[in-house]
Amino acid sequence: MKNPSIRDILYEPPGPKARRRIGITTAAALLLIAGLIYLIIRQFAENGQLDARYWSFFGRATTWRFLGEGLLSTVEAALTGALIAFAVGFVLMRGRLNRFAVIRFVSAAIIEFTRGVPTLLFIYLFFLVVPQTGWELSSFWKITLPCAISACGVVAEALRSGVNAVPKGQREAALSLGFGEIRLFYQILFPQAIRFVIPSLIAELVIVLKDTTFASVVSYADLMQNAKVLISNYDAMLSVYLVVAVIYILINYLLNKLSEYLARRMNRGAEGRTS
Amino acid sequence: MTESNVPVIELRHVDKHFGTLHVLKDISLSVNRGEVVVIIGPSGSGKSTLCRTVNRLETIDSGEILIEGVPIPPEGKKLAAMRRQIGMVFQSFNLFAHMTILENVVAAPRSILKQNKKDARAEALRLLERVGVADQKDKVPAQLSGGQQQRAAIARALAMHPKAMLFDEPTSALDPEMIGEVLSVMTELAGEGMTMLIVTHEMNFARRVADRVIFMDGGAIVEENTPEEFFAHPQSQRAKDFLSSISEH
Ligand SMILES: Nc1ncnc2c1ncn2[C@@H]1O[C@H](COP(=O)(O)OP(=O)(O)OP(=O)(O)O)[C@@H](O)[C@H]1O
Ligand SMILES: [Mg+2]
Repeated sequence: MKNPSIRDILYEPPGPKARRRIGITTAAALLLIAGLIYLIIRQFAENGQLDARYWSFFGRATTWRFLGEGLLSTVEAALTGALIAFAVGFVLMRGRLNRFAVIRFVSAAIIEFTRGVPTLLFIYLFFLVVPQTGWELSSFWKITLPCAISACGVVAEALRSGVNAVPKGQREAALSLGFGEIRLFYQILFPQAIRFVIPSLIAELVIVLKDTTFASVVSYADLMQNAKVLISNYDAMLSVYLVVAVIYILINYLLNKLSEYLARRMNRGAEGRTS
Repeated sequence: MTESNVPVIELRHVDKHFGTLHVLKDISLSVNRGEVVVIIGPSGSGKSTLCRTVNRLETIDSGEILIEGVPIPPEGKKLAAMRRQIGMVFQSFNLFAHMTILENVVAAPRSILKQNKKDARAEALRLLERVGVADQKDKVPAQLSGGQQQRAAIARALAMHPKAMLFDEPTSALDPEMIGEVLSVMTELAGEGMTMLIVTHEMNFARRVADRVIFMDGGAIVEENTPEEFFAHPQSQRAKDFLSSISEH
C-alpha cells in the first residue's frame, strides 16, 4: 500500500459539496492564470520581444551545444561542491558531537561562520584575496570551493539534527549489546539519521546549484555565463533568460523528484508505522 | 573454572541521585547463577534505574556493582565487553529500525563477536525459531506486532550468549493479548537456567517463575523474599498497600 501523504493526513477526503467548490475555484484560478499569461505575451508582442530575431537562434544546434556545455559545467561545479560540502559537513558534525569541549566549540564556530557569511563573499575571497597569496586556482575551483564552504555548515547542522532525531532507545539497545561508540555511530545512528535528512540535503544541493550562477564573477563558463554570452551576441535578453530559467527549474524539479524517490526507498524502516 | 558460588550480578551499597532526587538508596542485592529475581514496586520507586545501573546505562554515585565478582569498568572497550555479557530487554523493544529482524539479531554477533556470516545467520534463525518469529525475519520492526518485536528483541539479546538477562517491564507496552506470548518465552528461558533480573507488574508471572521477589519503594529495597512468602505474607505496610492496590483490578 502507498504511504499516506501529508495531504491525506491533514484533510478529510472532500464530499460532493466540497468537490464542487474545489472545481469552481480551480476553474477560476486557471482562467486568471491564462489571462495573466495572455497579458504578458501581449505586452511582449507589443514591445517586439516575440520577433523572430530573438528566437530564431534557438533553432540552431550550436546554440544548444553552447548552452549544453554551460549546463555540464554547472552540474560539475554543483556536484563537486556538494560532495565537498557533504564531506566537510560530516567532519564538522562529528566535531560538533565530540566529547571534547574544545573540538565542539571550534566546530560550532566554523559552522556558524560558514552559515552566516553570504556565498558571494566567499567567492570574492577566492577571486580577489586568495590569488594575492600566490595560490593560483582554476576558475572551476574559484566557484566550487566557495559554494562548498558556504554549504558545509548547513549540511553539518542537518546531519546533526538527524543524529539527534534517532530515538534514545536505539543507542541504549546498541550499547547494551556491547557496541562501542564508533560502531554505534556508523552502524546504528548514522544510517538512520541520513534517512531523516535526505530532503534537507537535497534542498541544500539545490541551493549549491543556484549559488554556482555566481560563476560569471570568476569567469567560469557555466550555464549562466554562457547565457550571458548568448545575450550579448544576439542582443536577446528576455528569450535567453526565459529558456535558461526553464532549464534551472527542470533540474531542480528533477532533484525534488529524486529526493522523494530516495525518501520513499529509504523509508522502508518507517513503513507501516502509523504514528 | 567453577565460580558458581560467585553471584552473576551483585550490587553493594549502591546510591544514586538525579539532581536532588535520591533514586537509589543503599541498594544491595545479588543474583546467583540460574536464579530469577523479580523486582516489583510502585511507579517511580527506582526499578528501571536499578535495572539500568547493572549494565551502566545509568552511572552510580557510590557503591559497587560486580559482574561475576568483577567491578563494572567505567568506560571504553572494557565496559563494552562487560555489557555484551549482560543482555537487556526494554519496555519499548528498541529493535534497530533500519534493519530487518534477521539483521537485528545478526548485527552484534557479526560486528562485535566477529562471527562469520553463515554461522551468525544460522544461529539467528535458530533463535528466531525458538521465540517463534522466524517467519518474520525479512520484515522491518515496524511491520511486526509489539509481541513479535519483543520476542525478536529477546532473540537479539540471546545471540550474544549473555551470562544474565535484564528485563525492564518487557510487557508493559504490549496489548493484553500479546503479553502471554512474551511471558512464555521468558518462562522457557528461566526453565533453561538463564540468570534473570526482571522488573515487571505481572504478579502471576512473578509468582510462577521467580526464585526471589524484591519489593522496592522510594528508592529502597523494602522487602526481599520467596514469591510464596512475599505474596502470602507481606511484612511491611507498604508492600501490603501495594499488593492490595494492584489486586483491586
Ligand atoms: N534521567 C532522569 N533524570 C531525572 N530523573 C529521573 C530520570 N530517570 C528517572 N528519573 C526519576 O527517578 C525516579 C525513579 O524512576 P524509575 O524510572 O527508576 O522508576 P520506576 O520504578 O521504573 O517507575 P515505573 O514503574 O513508572 O517505570 C522517578 O521519580 C523518575 O521521575
Ligand atoms: Mg520503569
